[in-house]
This record gives sequence, structure tokens and C-alpha cells, in this order.
Amino acid sequence: MATATATKKKVRINGCVASAQAAKYADVDVIAAYPIRPYTATMMALAQMVANGELDAEYIVADSEHSQLSIAHGASSSGARVFTGSSGVGVQFAYELYSPISGSRMPVQMMIADRTLDPPGDFGSEHTDALSTRDMGWLMGWACDAQEAFDNHLIAYRIGEDRRVLLPQMVCQDGFFVSHITSDVELPDAGQVKEFLPPYKHPYPLDPRHPVSHGPQIMPEQGPPLQLERARAMEESMAVIEEVHDEFAKIFGRRYDPWVEEFMTDDAEVVFFMQGGHAVTARFAIQHMRERGLKVGLARLRTIRPYPTERVKDVLSKFKVVGVIETNMGLGSPSSGGVLYADACAALYESEKRPLVMSFMAGMGGEAIVLKEFYWMAEKMMAAQKRGKIEKRTHWVGFEE
Amino acid sequence: MATIEVQRQVLPILGNPNQGARFYNPDLPSSEPFVPGHRTCAGCGPSIQYRMTSKAAGDNTILVGPTGCMYVANSSYLCTPYNVPWAHTQIGSAGSFTAGVAAAYEAMIRKGKWKGAYPNIICEAGDGSASDIGLASISGALYRNHDCLIICYDNEQYANTGIQASSRTPYGGMTTFSPPGPEVPEGKKLYPKDLARMMAAGHPHCYVATASVGYPIDLMNKVRKGLNHKGASYLMVYTPCQKGFVYETPRSIDLGRLVVECGLYPMWEWNPEKREFDYSFRPQSMRPVAEYLKLQGRFGHLHAQHIANLQQFANEQWQMMGIELPEALIKAADVKNQTNMAAAAEAEQVALTV
Repeated sequence: MATATATKKKVRINGCVASAQAAKYADVDVIAAYPIRPYTATMMALAQMVANGELDAEYIVADSEHSQLSIAHGASSSGARVFTGSSGVGVQFAYELYSPISGSRMPVQMMIADRTLDPPGDFGSEHTDALSTRDMGWLMGWACDAQEAFDNHLIAYRIGEDRRVLLPQMVCQDGFFVSHITSDVELPDAGQVKEFLPPYKHPYPLDPRHPVSHGPQIMPEQGPPLQLERARAMEESMAVIEEVHDEFAKIFGRRYDPWVEEFMTDDAEVVFFMQGGHAVTARFAIQHMRERGLKVGLARLRTIRPYPTERVKDVLSKFKVVGVIETNMGLGSPSSGGVLYADACAALYESEKRPLVMSFMAGMGGEAIVLKEFYWMAEKMMAAQKRGKIEKRTHWVGFEE
Repeated sequence: MATIEVQRQVLPILGNPNQGARFYNPDLPSSEPFVPGHRTCAGCGPSIQYRMTSKAAGDNTILVGPTGCMYVANSSYLCTPYNVPWAHTQIGSAGSFTAGVAAAYEAMIRKGKWKGAYPNIICEAGDGSASDIGLASISGALYRNHDCLIICYDNEQYANTGIQASSRTPYGGMTTFSPPGPEVPEGKKLYPKDLARMMAAGHPHCYVATASVGYPIDLMNKVRKGLNHKGASYLMVYTPCQKGFVYETPRSIDLGRLVVECGLYPMWEWNPEKREFDYSFRPQSMRPVAEYLKLQGRFGHLHAQHIANLQQFANEQWQMMGIELPEALIKAADVKNQTNMAAAAEAEQVALTV
């Protein structure tokens, strides 16, 4: 089948607007907004689209993030395609709803532009907001630029609404580094989206013609089967995720590895393992270091839930040293740093060839990770390679010699 | 953009609104969206209310149930008494989840994704949800004027969790969070939040009314008026709780009438077109509060002063409705004319033995 591409166009927009555009292309029915920086710009753009008549949707200004997610839950339960979003403490204000939404298997979509948690009030990007909800049954992954953010929204709807999956999705991007930096984004032809994303149809919506009860109260022994079912949905989504990425590449011509994007890893010995927008800087840093003959590479995690354990094991086992760049807080975690380290180590545990693993607290508070910091981290990794063991599990970048 | 016009239902108003509970009304719909077999307590006021409310609404209805008795006792163990779609939501999500359902139907009908008349969307929130944790979410739904009806089934406490004080618990009401003791003889020291009036004052474009299970036809008519009103409506319904109020189970409906007759549950409607309160509802008689209080164990500890205080509170409610107070009620607000509950009970016991 020939794909329509007649009205495909290139625009220069930031990550927030790219997300809003994706919601528009997905023809969402209900939008639940509440302001908090930096994701607000997405909802501003959507409000304008509704006001202009470009998008026919119920645009609701909620009274809190908790209400935003409850509105999204109610609307998705009724059979509407829903879009919502938040940042920082807003993500956490809504925390109660994450498990009920995934537990009732409602494919709500939430856009996250990361922001640090309080204290103190900091607008900068840290992934802790969304990562703190990572075990709540939501599909979750990070984009590194506006184009990828746009694409991820469409991909996530398609995966989440698949009857084999039926799970909510958190489509994340770094605050400011992605959300507020403009870049070229290719907006597709509506026909491409139509071909890729079928209309949302939940099997058991709240419909007076086919009465169903959602979420009745249960006995303890009735809990495990439901929990197992949700766990299986997460597990079995992996095949769907791969399938949908293939389909996306066919229709839109952009191919993403659904799990781990590798950059200059062919002969790499030390490799950064990270997610999100700082990977763009990392690519430049790696190119510069390569010019100096250093065997450095990058493995960028694109989907963290479900965690691609096998894939992470296979990719990271190829290297001598892995440096996990956290950009999140895991106070008291196994590495006394962030939360990505533990997942990476768990994936590597069954590997026959385990690399040395260390982690870096970098980009904290929303600071840019600048080139020389990548060089510094690479030096630490190379020193460990030479020594044959790590100096310590976690380095706070900028606080050490 | 081509859009489809949303068709809305109109439900007829029933006759004889102010009749008693034991009265046959041939106009009552036969459909039962809320069926028997659930696990609520004998004499449960909220479930009586639930049956009447859903009966008044009919089958093209969607129910939203925030956490509370009407969630836990009704939908226990994957069973369900709901013959229409029903969804549980979080206790703080009463208004917001309901708003989501309403918004979904507006959009889906308009965009041709769902065909049929706009359903009745009813949220049944307990007073804990409605007056405390879900207050902002309900206010948001009313303010934004989603076409839905939000009901506070008011049993004046958190009953599902084992009887704790809510901001609707009356002054003097004993709960496990407001027990009486030597330092706090009245138990609950605070007066209840005037929830329904607050909703009417803050959201004057909404139809708002109070009702009681003691007046079933009036209650069902208020449900229908609320559903017929295009936009958001709010009902606060007195629904006694045998477990928390501690009374003889067959007396739920009697309490529902007594609470109105003694002025502790003013019955009114807020007319959003005229922007005024309608106080035309009149109970058959006006009684002193003691007649209502003495039927309930939760007030068994009250002293004369506390009863007088409650009479004073009731008198203020009557006056707020522009109703003239009989001499007897003014006198009853004077502590000199009251006796402690314990003493009264003792005297009654003596009278019975003699």
C-alpha cells in the first residue's frame, strides 16, 4: 500500500510543541491540562490548536495534577483517546493514579518534560520525576530531541492501545534541553498517521449498552491473578514494541532501535550508558575523543519500562567499562547515586563477560553536561580499565578532581 | 470541522413529592440499575439512596464510585450490584474522574465515535470524599460545568474505614476520631461544613439541592432535575448509617424524616436560572433536636449544654430559611430546659419499670 506523503512538511519547533503536534496528529479526544514548567508549553500549544479549530477535543483545565490524571483515567475508561502531561513535583502530585490507571489497563498517554523535584524550587531537568513512577505499570522511555519526541508519542499510542498490551505510556523528554530547544521536525502527512495509528477502541469501556464494572474491591487471594496479568502485559508488550517500531520505520522512514541506540560502539572499550537529551552532547564529545584515538562509545537507553534486560546485557557485555550517567536521584540506592546503575548491573549479572560498571551523577539540577565533563568521565572509565577495577561506584561530576 | 449535535435525555418529574416512605407511586420506574445482593449493612442509608437515585436515572446511565462504603460494600470480591456501567475511582478523584467520563462522551458523540443520547453521568461520593479529600476535584467539575450529577451521600462520617469524623460529622457526634472523654465531653467539637451551600454559592450556574432518604420521591425528583439540567448539578443527601449512628435498623427512613423535622438538615434547592434559594419545602412538623438525637447512640454522651447548642444550631438553620421559630424551639435552645442524655435515658428506664 502506497503511503500518502503529500502534506509532509519540515518545521522548526521545540520538544513541547512537537508533543502537542503529535497529540493533534493522533486526533486525541480529551486533553487534561494543568500548568507547571517546563511541560506547560505543550498544553499552551494544544489550547491554541483547539481555539483555532485545528483540533476537535475537550480541553480541560484541571484543578491539580491529581485531577488531571483522574480526568484522563475517566475519559480513557469511557473510550476516548486521552492526552495529559506534567513535570517535576506535578508528576508526583498525581502519584496515586498511576497504579489504578495501569491496573485498569487504560492506555492513557502522559507527556513528561522533566524537572527536578523540590527542594528547592529548581526549574532544571532531572529524570527523577518520571523515574520515581517507573514501577507503576506504565510504558516509559526518553526521547533525545524534538523529532524523536514527536515520533515517540505516536509510537506509544500505537503500542499502549494494542489489545495485547493496553497499558498507559509515559513519553518523556528532558526539560529545556529537549522541551525548549527548537530543531527541525518533520511533520507527517495525516494519511501516514491514519495508516499507522488505528482509532482507539478499548474492549470494555463504560458504555451503557454493555454495562461493565471497573475496579471492584477484592479479596487478598483475588489480587495475585490480577497482578500477574498486569506483569504479563508489561512483559508481552516487548514483542509489540518491536513490531510497532518496524511498522513505524516502514511508514515514516525513520528507524529507531526500540531499546538501546548504539553510537560508535563497534570497537569501543569504554561506553556511556544513559538516556535522554544529554546523549546529543555525548555524541559530539565521543566524536572529539575518537579524533584523539580514544575508543569511546555511547549506548542510549530508549525504553526503560519494560526494561530490555536481554538487550542491555548483550550490548553492555561487549565493552570493558560502562559508565552509567544518571541525571536522577536515587538516595540511598545500591550505588548511592541514581537508579539506572542497579538496573544495568542486574541485566549484566547473568552475562559471562561482565564489564566494570561505574556511575556518574551528572546533569544534576538541570545543569548541562558539557563536553569537558564527558572527557573527565571517559578518563575515569579508562583509568578503571587500566587498573582492572573501579575506584568507586558513583562519582559526582564537578565535585571531584 | 463537522460535528454531530449531542442529544440529551429529559426525565419526567414524579407527582406527590413530599409524601412519606410508605406510599405507593405508580409512576415509579420499574428498572433497577442497582440490584440487591450486595454486602451493605441492614438499614444502610447510602444504599437506599443509591437504589432510588439509580432508579430515577434509568438505564442510560454511567455511575462513578469513589472509594467509600458504596465502593467496598457494594462491589466486594469482584461481585457487582450495578446493572449499568460503573467504575471505581480514587477517593479524591470524585469530580475529576466524572469530568473525564463526561468530557469523553461530549467528544465521542460530537466526533461520531459513539452514537446515542448523552448518558446520565452520576458520581456517588461519600461525605469524606465530597467534603474533604475530593472537595477540590468536585469543585473543579462543577466550575467547569460538565454535564453530570455529583451526589454526596452524606452519612456524616468516614463509615467504611470504621467510623471516623469527617467535616460533615455534626457537633457532638461520637466517632472513633472524636470520642467523648473527661476533657472533651461533647466528642466532636466542630460544627459541620455547610457543604451544599458552599457548592451553591461557589458554582451558581449549577443546580444544587439537599435531600434525604426520608423523602424518596422528593429525592428522585431532585435527581431528575439535576440530570435534566444541562451542565453540572450537585446533591447532598442525608443517608443515615446504622453502624456509626447506632440506632435500630428499621428506623433509617424515620431518621431521614426526623433530621429534617428538627432542622438539622435544611432542605432546599438552588435555582441556577433565578440565582436564588428555594426554601418552599416544608416538613409536616417541626420538632426539637432531642427527639432526633435520643434515637442514636452516637449522641448518648451529650450533656444538657451540648443539646442546647445543637438546638441553637438547628434554630439558626430554620432562620436561614426564613422560617419563624415556634416558642418551644427557642426555649429548647436554653440549657435550663435540657437534661443530659444519660439522665434522660435513666428516667425513661425508670418510667418503663414503673
